Amino acid sequence: MTTHGGFEPVFCTIVPPHVLDRLAQHEDPALAGPARETLERDAYERTHRRLTTVIGAPTLTAPVVSDKPQRTIYDAKHKQDLPGKKVRAEGSDPGKDATVNRAFAGLGATFELYLNAFNRHSIDGEGLPLNASVHYDVKYDNAFWNGEQMVFGDGDGELFLDFTIPVDVIGHELTHGVTQYTANLTYFGQSGALNESISDVFGSLIKQYTLGQTATEADWLIGAGLLAPRVSGVALRSMKAPGTAYDDDALGKDPQPATMDDFVKTGSDNGGVHINSGIPNHAFYLVADALGGHAWEKAGQIWYDVLTGGELKKDALFTDFATLTVAAAKTRFGDGGEELQAVSKAWEQVGVPTS
Amino acid sequence: MRIQVRRTGGFGGIQRRGEVDTSTRPDAHEWHALAERAVAAGHSAPSTGVPDGFHYEITVDGKTVHTADPRLTDDQRELISRVLKEGA
Repeated sequence: MTTHGGFEPVFCTIVPPHVLDRLAQHEDPALAGPARETLERDAYERTHRRLTTVIGAPTLTAPVVSDKPQRTIYDAKHKQDLPGKKVRAEGSDPGKDATVNRAFAGLGATFELYLNAFNRHSIDGEGLPLNASVHYDVKYDNAFWNGEQMVFGDGDGELFLDFTIPVDVIGHELTHGVTQYTANLTYFGQSGALNESISDVFGSLIKQYTLGQTATEADWLIGAGLLAPRVSGVALRSMKAPGTAYDDDALGKDPQPATMDDFVKTGSDNGGVHINSGIPNHAFYLVADALGGHAWEKAGQIWYDVLTGGELKKDALFTDFATLTVAAAKTRFGDGGEELQAVSKAWEQVGVPTS
Repeated sequence: MRIQVRRTGGFGGIQRRGEVDTSTRPDAHEWHALAERAVAAGHSAPSTGVPDGFHYEITVDGKTVHTADPRLTDDQRELISRVLKEGA
């Protein structure tokens, strides 16, 4: 008699299945019950064996991916050498440097959204340690992802403040890592603008998740709190109203288009990756706004499915991405649902064909 | 010598320019040496760079070279920083 991990069937598996079928339908529960259990157990074992031949036997030492982030913050001490001096690691208490603490918290917030909303463990899906350097260079007006870690400048204080202030900026940079490990969209032209837009989308979702906001409550701004007080503007980009984030003597005017009619052709900025990202950004906002509730649950899930689904090509155009979101909405939420309708309508509104 | 720097890209995608004319400067010799070293280490075409990284065009007397963060040489970084600060 075989035992199955603590469960001992009354009938040995040598009893032919058709006999068990008959017994399972027997009026007497004393006979029917064990027969049913055996059939269920048998079906489970058979499925399990079949799956093992298809996906391979599970290894005994399967790596356990932690549900906790593994964060390290470095201080570049106003130089350009990366990563700099290690100033805070996982498990250590907050120090006196607010920039270090903000970066640490921001990495945690990003890890939380990806894990809780999309069951993704860190940016590579396998628990990659998250490293960030702060105080990079002197009065450095930027933050970037160098392929391995995040880098944050302090800002010049006149136009830009500390780049660790908005949590969506931290989420934006980490999402460049997620994109690198998934669709790996080429950082030029339309695929580059999609790469940028995905960072804005998930950056904004990280802020919304942290604040517990619905699509209606969210500000849909990227970089709110980053501009110095003298600057006329609220942020660097607006997903709700692209082109309206700032209009300032020193910075100029927010150049983002909301629709394909205003698509900007330029050789600068890798072919306008930070400009034309306004179009897919706005499409995401329209989907989230139409569906209401927490944007990461439906709109975010659809975008995540496309980013990680394996069908999005490196050199994808807006229309390729849009078409995949329509398919993903159907697969995830069903044909004829409000999700599919919202996605199709949003792309139509921004002038991107979805077939 | 006319030294121009154009910075593009970055998280904000906001362009900045600066220009320095060294002809009236007492430290012209130093500027020339720095500019020549920065240009020598530049590239003839822009690279894709890293996401959100700044791109720079350095133009010296009409000749333009490209470079991008975080892979600037020390000379390029110093020249760019001085031109954007003093020639803004």
